[in-house]
Amino acid sequence: MLEGFFNDMGQWPISQAIGASIWVYPTIQAIHLVFLALFAGGMMITDLRLLGFGMRSKTVAEVARDARPWVVLGFLGLVSTGVPQLMQNASREYFSEFFWYKMYLIAFGLIWLLTVRRKMIQATETTALSKVVGLISMAVWTGVTINARLIGLFT
Amino acid sequence: MQPVHDLFFWVSELPTSIAIRESLLFSPYLTVAHVVSMCLFAGLIVMMDLRLLGIGNMSTPFSELQKRLFPWQMLGMGMSSVTGLTLAYSDPMRFYVNIFFWTKMLVMVLAGINAMAFHFITYNSVVTWDTRASTPFGAKLSGALGMVLWAIVIVSGRLIPYNWFQN
Repeated sequence: MLEGFFNDMGQWPISQAIGASIWVYPTIQAIHLVFLALFAGGMMITDLRLLGFGMRSKTVAEVARDARPWVVLGFLGLVSTGVPQLMQNASREYFSEFFWYKMYLIAFGLIWLLTVRRKMIQATETTALSKVVGLISMAVWTGVTINARLIGLFT
Repeated sequence: MQPVHDLFFWVSELPTSIAIRESLLFSPYLTVAHVVSMCLFAGLIVMMDLRLLGIGNMSTPFSELQKRLFPWQMLGMGMSSVTGLTLAYSDPMRFYVNIFFWTKMLVMVLAGINAMAFHFITYNSVVTWDTRASTPFGAKLSGALGMVLWAIVIVSGRLIPYNWFQN
């Protein structure tokens, strides 16, 4: 069923249009990376603080609150430039193991972000637990980035 | 540019360059490491530039942000440089004819000049604006230029495989 959906998606007029031009797809790819930098920066400044590094003169909560709008903006930018890439490459990505690893990791990363990490970034200081939470967050989003790059290299 | 061409060509003939070029997995792994380290470097540069623009991370004094993020930015830059230089080393003739590669190199130099100008000029007066809600014009200019220039570096880097302007 999912395979059929991916095949259909690749045939949508808009998907075909993205692939028809030589510059639309690469430009979307490039902008995706710019939003990645914004998202990664906002995540990392908070995760580093959770680990007890970075801006230690501020509470975890203060650092996290400042970073939040950039994390949200970065993520929205990533989704809005990621979906068109998927549409254009739908059936190829369906058969890419790295695409699915990326999706599972994003799902886990988002759940982690909205539950455990959200609780942890309300703290004033770091604890052994907050360090583990920050480290898991960093590892998961690094995994997303690695698998994302591998889609293009090995699919 | 004959001397540059000759240098790139000479590198391309070195046994280690050929070995990396012909290895199936080395280049992809380097590319992945280049992107991950770019996130560390550019991500934390953006966080600092947003603070310079006066629109982000405003609860932290600028000097504090700069001091605390600097080691991580340098780690990211070091990793990006090592992976990027190795990639260039492994296939120099491919990059020599690529307009996006040269755009990236040129804009990186401009971004470096912007960082130096900020460090030696605007940063001298940091005590007067370190904790203020609004940053001076020089700081805003550096922040805006930094964001735009590094974005161009990322974009042109990503476009290197698309050699539209190559014969």
